Amino acid sequence: MQEFLYKKFSPKMYGVCLRYAGNTEDANDILQEGFIKIFKNIGKFRSEGSFEGWIRRIFVNTSIEHFRKKVKLYNVTEVQENTIEDKELDALDLLDAKDIISIVNELSPGYKAVFNMHIIEGYSHKEIAGILGITEGTSKSQLARAKGVLKKMVEIRLNKKNNNTTIS
Amino acid sequence: MQNFKNKLYNYEAPPPEEIWSNIVSELKDDKVIKMPGLRKRSKFLFYGLTAAASLIIIFVSTFFFNKNTGTKSVADAPALKTDNLINQKIKDSIALNHQILESIINTPQDKKMLASNFEKQEGAPKKYITIAGPEGQPVKISPKAATLILSADNEYPPKPVWNKKIDKWKQIMLSNITSPTSTNLVDILQLAANSENVE
Repeated sequence: MQEFLYKKFSPKMYGVCLRYAGNTEDANDILQEGFIKIFKNIGKFRSEGSFEGWIRRIFVNTSIEHFRKKVKLYNVTEVQENTIEDKELDALDLLDAKDIISIVNELSPGYKAVFNMHIIEGYSHKEIAGILGITEGTSKSQLARAKGVLKKMVEIRLNKKNNNTTIS
Repeated sequence: MQNFKNKLYNYEAPPPEEIWSNIVSELKDDKVIKMPGLRKRSKFLFYGLTAAASLIIIFVSTFFFNKNTGTKSVADAPALKTDNLINQKIKDSIALNHQILESIINTPQDKKMLASNFEKQEGAPKKYITIAGPEGQPVKISPKAATLILSADNEYPPKPVWNKKIDKWKQIMLSNITSPTSTNLVDILQLAANSENVE
């Protein structure tokens, strides 16, 4: 049963781990820790939501615990408004998943955590603030900065791609 | 949801093979060390709580019995003959008490009988142990008391309230001349627990 679950969900959950962890070693640790938690607490799963959703939440929480052990986020007094619209990140759609992951992994740990939690997992800034122990303002400004950095990195990546295509 | 969000949300990658073997070995280690102990302890705690009631009833009734006997002898001062008779009766009962307890502890046949109380019989299983009461009379005590007293020696899970109570009961038993001594009672309970394990 355990092996079946591992085989079914490990590739997807390893994707989650890679998104949050800065390197494969950390991602491996998170994957191992997450599955041990799941097997120990599988009896606590109440069929209120999807099983995959429950597993994913455990992996996101484990990734965040891991992140919190390594990185200390400091609240900032300045609150930068979320000036970059999600539409401006549409350029990311032109890249494949591996490239997007590699770009996201170039973000600083704080930016990456807030970006993953808000944009991909759908946590609110209030929830992120509670989980990471920061203020809502800090969460918002981290996200705005993350988007700004991402936008620049995508532009650079696409320019390189275009140049390569033109030369060839 | 934008396309890139879907791509990231559903991103999959094959994990290194050794991770599964690491998980298996960690789960195995954990099972050997923790799981049986936790089950046993929680069982002890469950039975312990139930057994406490039995012990309290026994000791409370012993106190009432002693109190009534004492009040009579003090209130009826002129009746020395009655006092002497009561004292003699208590002495006799203590001697009988010791005799019965000794026979229970030392006679192999009685040990067998004691152990047989735990054997499940058809219809009505005897789920009690018998000890000699203050007057030498047989008193039935639930074997659950054994789990409570024995579990008091385990440090985990911590149960400061119950340990305090059990210590108090032991002191009461030691200081009360007409009740079975704690050593004997614990010995009997230990014997009962051992016989249960052997089965």
